[in-house]
Amino acid sequence: MADFSEQSYRQPFPFLDIDPTMESLTQFAELNPQSFILDNSAFNFQTFFPLSINDSLFSNQASQGETMSGFIHNSNQSSVSAQPIFSAKTEVEEISNKRKALDILESSSGNSSSSSPQVSETGIKRRNNSGRGKRAKSNEKEMEKPKEVVHVRARRGQATDSHSLAERVRRGKINERLRCLQDIVPGCYKTMGMALMLDEIINYVQSLQNQVEFLSMKLTAASTYYDFNSESDAMERMQRRKAEEAKELERLMREGYVGIGGVACFHSSSTYGPL
Amino acid sequence: MNNPHHLNPTSLKSRFTTRFLRALTKIRAQKPISSSSPTEIFRRYRRIKVAADKSMAYSVRSRRIWSRAMLWKLRSRSYRRQDPCSGRRSGKTSQAIMKKSSNENTTTRREDGVGFVEEADELRQLVPGGETMNLCNLLDETAHYIKCLTTQVQVMKKIADFYSF
Repeated sequence: MADFSEQSYRQPFPFLDIDPTMESLTQFAELNPQSFILDNSAFNFQTFFPLSINDSLFSNQASQGETMSGFIHNSNQSSVSAQPIFSAKTEVEEISNKRKALDILESSSGNSSSSSPQVSETGIKRRNNSGRGKRAKSNEKEMEKPKEVVHVRARRGQATDSHSLAERVRRGKINERLRCLQDIVPGCYKTMGMALMLDEIINYVQSLQNQVEFLSMKLTAASTYYDFNSESDAMERMQRRKAEEAKELERLMREGYVGIGGVACFHSSSTYGPL
Repeated sequence: MNNPHHLNPTSLKSRFTTRFLRALTKIRAQKPISSSSPTEIFRRYRRIKVAADKSMAYSVRSRRIWSRAMLWKLRSRSYRRQDPCSGRRSGKTSQAIMKKSSNENTTTRREDGVGFVEEADELRQLVPGGETMNLCNLLDETAHYIKCLTTQVQVMKKIADFYSF
């Protein structure tokens, strides 16, 4: 971002004086000389993107200026000195790294909006030059200036009506939840599709429920057995068992398995001892 | 036991353990087995299983949809047990309520545009109270339910091991 600002600081004046359609910029300059440079840097960024910033500004060039090459052509036409063109070209090359450039655009437009309340932007159209991820939720539309009507331009290949937006949000939420489940359920691979993952989840829940049933049956058997044996024998056995378990638990804890099952259970079962 | 690695006394695991053990003692106290007939054993097994589910649901309170649904199911079943007449009435009304709410939600529950309806339905049958959830909530509840089930299995395994020498 520093590079951009440096280059554009050098350019603004020749660009301004020569280009007749940029007269409004001079007005802004009079208003606020301090923010002027910032304005200009922002505009310089934005001119190199196919933006429909303000019709009055670019009315002449609007028809031609839909592509970046078109803008460069325009700047040629307005006979700007070689420097801006050069910077334009380099900036275009940098722009072909889509993501970085678009991020800079966001930050710069953020700057411009904060520093130039006079600038009215109806919308920002973004060129999605190569599939920059279909579902990146960040900043697919930017809204400026509450007084203006906001037109939201769609990303490439997606609709903008409220229904599909809501749908997208919902799907995003569902995907996020599925990802959490993926971490919890063993045996889920990222490469699996959603349906397969759901099947895995279903199997896992069923197996857990079966385990609970089986364990409760085991507890029934154990308690029945315990009832049928003499009290003292059982007590001895339980105490022996308790000692073994305590030793095992210590060993486990030393190995770091603090969380697994042990302490609270043994605490309460030790109080549970004399039945 | 001066154990520096005490578990959190308010964690789900400890809450469930205390409740479940209390229930177990109650079960063992109220009916020392006289005969080892299969019905007796089966009855006890049912009681223990219900105690496990109940203690888990109570440990979660009403914070989750599935726990509320499970508590409600258990309560309606116990009312039905206690008093057959009122049980029938409450059974019918409870079924009616469940059907009604599930109908409402089925009419509002469209295809969802997501495309795994069969699996989602199956999951809904597994998770208690799942019929009345949309897919988003269902996944959420499933995650919490799985976590609670694993806790339950862990604790019960320890207890069973302890018991069966």
